[in-house]
Amino acid sequence: MVSDATTSRSPDVAPAATAAAAGGSDPTPRRAGGITVLRWVLRQHRRALIGWTVAVAVVCGIYVSFWPAMGDAGELDALIEGMPEGLVAAMGYDAIGTPAGYLESTVFGLLGPILLLVFGLTFAAKLVAGEEEDGTLELELSSPVARGSVYLQRYLAVVVALLWLCLVVALVTVGLIAALDMEVGTPEVLATTLGMYLLVLAFASLAFAAGAATGRKAIALAVGAGLAVLSYIANALAPLLDDGQWLEAISPFAWYLASEPLVDGLSVPGALGLVAWALVPAGLAIVRFDRRDLGV
Amino acid sequence: MSDVLVRTEGLIKDYGRHRALDGLDLEVSRGEIFGFLGPNGAGKSTTIRILLDQLRPTAGRAEVFGTTPREGGPRQRARIGYLPGELALSGRDTAAALLDHLARLRGGVGATRIPELAERFNLDLDRPIRGLSKGNKQKVGVIQAFMHEPELLILDEPTSGLDPLLQHEFLTMVREARGAGATVFMSSHVLSEVEEIAGRVAIVREGRIVDLDDVATLRHHAGQEVELGFAEPVPAEAFDGLPGVSDVEVDAASVRCLLRGEPDALLKVAARYHVTRWSAQNRELEDLFLDHYRVPVTDADGEVVADAASAHASTTTGTGQDTEGAR
Repeated sequence: MVSDATTSRSPDVAPAATAAAAGGSDPTPRRAGGITVLRWVLRQHRRALIGWTVAVAVVCGIYVSFWPAMGDAGELDALIEGMPEGLVAAMGYDAIGTPAGYLESTVFGLLGPILLLVFGLTFAAKLVAGEEEDGTLELELSSPVARGSVYLQRYLAVVVALLWLCLVVALVTVGLIAALDMEVGTPEVLATTLGMYLLVLAFASLAFAAGAATGRKAIALAVGAGLAVLSYIANALAPLLDDGQWLEAISPFAWYLASEPLVDGLSVPGALGLVAWALVPAGLAIVRFDRRDLGV
Repeated sequence: MSDVLVRTEGLIKDYGRHRALDGLDLEVSRGEIFGFLGPNGAGKSTTIRILLDQLRPTAGRAEVFGTTPREGGPRQRARIGYLPGELALSGRDTAAALLDHLARLRGGVGATRIPELAERFNLDLDRPIRGLSKGNKQKVGVIQAFMHEPELLILDEPTSGLDPLLQHEFLTMVREARGAGATVFMSSHVLSEVEEIAGRVAIVREGRIVDLDDVATLRHHAGQEVELGFAEPVPAEAFDGLPGVSDVEVDAASVRCLLRGEPDALLKVAARYHVTRWSAQNRELEDLFLDHYRVPVTDADGEVVADAASAHASTTTGTGQDTEGAR
């Protein structure tokens, strides 16, 4: 073992020292493996991801399957009749009697975002802040992978995991729409899914960024969940107020839903707003994460 | 220059209003095993985490392989093997999967040595990480620090959690690494483990180096505890002012003192009387260590006092000068 070590090390000891000191390239192979961190994170969470895949598929499946019994039979219209007008507007139930309105009120307007936010926020808060707090990130951060790369790869894990779960929602919904002969176009479902993805990614990014900037999981969750709830409330309140336009203007939920994407497709300015909402904090936090002290 | 692998100059680190490092200077040369000693809270881990670029100094400079950790970045860390002081490992994955992942982060370097090292430390690679005992997790930590045969090993309290047999195995591995050309910088709050292998030792206290010497010199300074018994009471004055002798206590027919250096003068004085009993015991470096941490805590064994020292560190005002005087 000793002689082994000597032969493998001796050729590059001195040159490596001088090369590194001079800022030159290191002669030994140190390709710190492209997406190693991303693959490891997804691998570590594979059980959780499988569980969430099943949960999301089942919940979406159940709700879409209720349509023939509820909407087609006129049950929902009867229910709405009995509800106060304000509540109907706040819940976005105006069009619940149509297939598109029903899907928007259930899968895409409420259950989908809630399930995905619960997953997305906790996942995003854990990946940097949570693992930094419990110390499990230390070996990765002392490895020859740049901090910025650790950050990006872990952020990508959030991006990929949410994309996967949204794909599951889209697949289940499109499949059941066809099976139940509902009048909703597949392009609109895909556009709406994209909108929901961008919405959830926006808040997950915010949680991720807040966690990476501060190293505190609680802050990550509070910022992400707090703004998600406020945004939801703003979107719900907007139709109730005479001059509620500004509430829609500042609510990411409204950017996603106000254009009724299942009927008219996703609003482009809304989608761009969501993308910006996701990328700006994530971009700012990487600078902070690269500069600050870790794990203190 | 290129033979100093680790250098810190006036390193200062503040956490808010608390000063963790207060102008720490040290140099570790290529090929040495350098012991970095001090009680918990003295600034050992803070120093080490600056070297790994996890913390950024408030002032002063740290260099590893001649560049700051910030500038050195991943390329610098590729040449370092690091064992954290508080190793946290979790997850359902097996030890093998984790170690394989850590090797991948190094571009695959070291992966082939994992089975051999695991066997050496008697670690079952197929068990999930989260089910491992503290000692077994520490083995994983040791393996990942050594597997890529780094030029520089930075080990923070490496033997904590390892049983004596494994501590021995660990120390053997450190020696082998040094034999293969590696440099070792290891911290500890237990002197005996460092004493066995280290060439030089720095003692850190409240964020400063208070003593820096090779182990032999420290050993010399530590001296011997000498006890002499006589057939009849002896005059205390006879033992006053002997070279190398201090802390003399004469109690009728017995004399206790501290001896540093040659025993000649002491023996010649003792020989004037009828000596019935004698013993000379090497003081542990622990005792020297305590000289630096002498605190208003009476009569406790080494570990308790060391802990008390960190708890009471802010109440003591002494510095390295104290020890200079004691010598």
